[in-house]
Amino acid sequence: MRPEVREMQAAMEREGYIADPAIATAVYLARTMRKPLLVEGDAGVGKTEIAKVLARMLDTELIRLQCYEGIDVHTALYEWNYQRQLLRLRIAGTEGREPAETEHMIFSRDCLLERPLLRAITRGDGPPVLLIDEIDRADDGFEAFLLEILADFQVTIPELGPIAATHVPYVVLTSNRTREIGDALRRRCFYLYVEHPSLEKEIRIIRARMPEVIGELAREVAAVVQALRARRLHKAPGVAETLDWIRALLALRQDRLDADTMEETLGCVLKDHHDVRELTAADIESLLAGARSPSGADA
Amino acid sequence: MPERDVVERLARFARRLRERGVGVCVSDEIDGAAALLLVDVDDRDEVRFALRAALKIRRSDWDTFDELFQDFWAAAPAVEPPATPREPPSRPRSDRTGPIPQWRWMQAVGQLPAEPGRDGRAGDTPGYSSEVLLRRKPFDDWSADDLPAMERLLARAARRLRCRPSRRLAPVRTGGRADLRRSFRRAVGTGGEFLSLARRDRAVERPDVVLLCDTSGSMDPHTRFLLTFALSLKRVVRRCEVFAFNTSLTRLTPWLTPDKIAPTLDRLAAGVPDWSGGTRIGASLDEFVTRYLDTLVSAKTVVVVLSDGLDLDSPAKLADAMRAVGEKARKVIWLNPLLGDPRYRPEARGMRAALPHVGHFVPAHNLESLERLLPLLAAGGGTPRSTESGV
Repeated sequence: MRPEVREMQAAMEREGYIADPAIATAVYLARTMRKPLLVEGDAGVGKTEIAKVLARMLDTELIRLQCYEGIDVHTALYEWNYQRQLLRLRIAGTEGREPAETEHMIFSRDCLLERPLLRAITRGDGPPVLLIDEIDRADDGFEAFLLEILADFQVTIPELGPIAATHVPYVVLTSNRTREIGDALRRRCFYLYVEHPSLEKEIRIIRARMPEVIGELAREVAAVVQALRARRLHKAPGVAETLDWIRALLALRQDRLDADTMEETLGCVLKDHHDVRELTAADIESLLAGARSPSGADA
Repeated sequence: MPERDVVERLARFARRLRERGVGVCVSDEIDGAAALLLVDVDDRDEVRFALRAALKIRRSDWDTFDELFQDFWAAAPAVEPPATPREPPSRPRSDRTGPIPQWRWMQAVGQLPAEPGRDGRAGDTPGYSSEVLLRRKPFDDWSADDLPAMERLLARAARRLRCRPSRRLAPVRTGGRADLRRSFRRAVGTGGEFLSLARRDRAVERPDVVLLCDTSGSMDPHTRFLLTFALSLKRVVRRCEVFAFNTSLTRLTPWLTPDKIAPTLDRLAAGVPDWSGGTRIGASLDEFVTRYLDTLVSAKTVVVVLSDGLDLDSPAKLADAMRAVGEKARKVIWLNPLLGDPRYRPEARGMRAALPHVGHFVPAHNLESLERLLPLLAAGGGTPRSTESGV
């Protein structure tokens, strides 16, 4: 393993992110080659966390753009400050200025409200980390627009002209795969698919994020969650759910997992009505038995 | 290893990937080469992870990637073994023996001369039928020469597709809400006076369509036309995914290019395993649900299944898969060529199992019936679907 990749892995771990070599390599490459990183994977496997950790590692600001259906240029890039524009228009009217001058006053940089994308490329001190979260929720028109920005990091505002980036931000895009991302955008990025962690990795994540967990609790919870993922569920629990569950168990002052507690707190991990209903008491017993025997935990 | 060697091997690796249906383009190769300069080329896993990221390999293609990566890593020989072009990764076991299906299909797309004396129609002058006749002509009676005419008719019909309002706002003349941004632009032109307000409203979108085509033996007379329909649809619908299934599921979308339909069909015939074989609808749809449902089907997707429902599989599996699809899709339409026959009753076990989860059950035996399908694709809103009680 290249020392730089190992260093990346160690640095991410110092920030509380247990990265396997695949993640470390992809993040290292994307950072070094200054390419956007497209991270895909099931919900709760820690996609967004990669951007946060990267920002902490580089000691820079994290600018986040949360995508949703119907997101457009005005929420992503810029919007005019209409109140200020109206005010200026009124003043210009009373002072009887030239139309050209009026236009200049209305459409100037200080009437411009910067939205995440514009802020990311014009930030004063150093390149930030730009997180474009859940890009799969935006429609493909927006994707095409993003493509343009990610290609040359320059935006054109009709009234102002082109604004070039003062620097190229580190871009992380995440997708929950609720739809396929267009090929053109995918080609622009480096691609990383994050899988659910292995048992050992999950235990390490729990210990890294919650040092207060003592005894066998981390191993038991991780083993049960792993076994749950192996079942065919509507919504497989992610690491986020595992951590939630541990938090709940800590709040209940449990240091072992037993059938009653598990049944009461099942809502932390299984977030689908069908999944909860299909899990019988016998299933819970066998899950627990599997988690307690060292050999069963690997299954 | 010398640098040039790596680049060459990478290019060969990329070509092998493309041959296996994994989309890798030149810019990906450049990314790949650049990435290899940055990692430890003696560390197998590191190279693997780096290439996976740089070549943008989807999760579903990882198995193929890993398989070919073996060769790449083991310094592939200078002379390549004869590649089998466009053969999908796994060729499932077929229950039949003999070379039957491929040639029937070839004949269908006009590659082979028609079987002499078959229905005695070999000498007919093609392309002469008037439009009306063409539209009512059962698919069984069509010949490969009718395809262009059908293509034209369908293209015209498919263009009428319109769909639900989007969440995105687009400029409109009246109605909707005020668009301050454009209003300001106008006001500047009139010396700061707002003579009229610009408006915008929710745009109207075309539907996304997922087509699942049964290419098993019992569907053989219909397959080519239904696929032509799929191809015409693909040209007008923004996102149209096409799958073929018989004993297993094959994603056809990468093969469907917007050029002439006949060459595309040729490519398909060569590429889809077990063409005209048996059917395992349940297993195939189940595979669709596990592998593709999340990414390809959303609340704006119309799922169209083209099949006669004659299944060798357990009906329960099919019912489960159809329920999963029905829950996620905006609409599920089942096209059954047999339904064109007034005597037909959906009594095949598979068909009965699927029906409760199907919004529209429509015939697909001639062009007219396909045209009638188009409004169903377009109509806004979901359809009342019978759902299982209690679940």
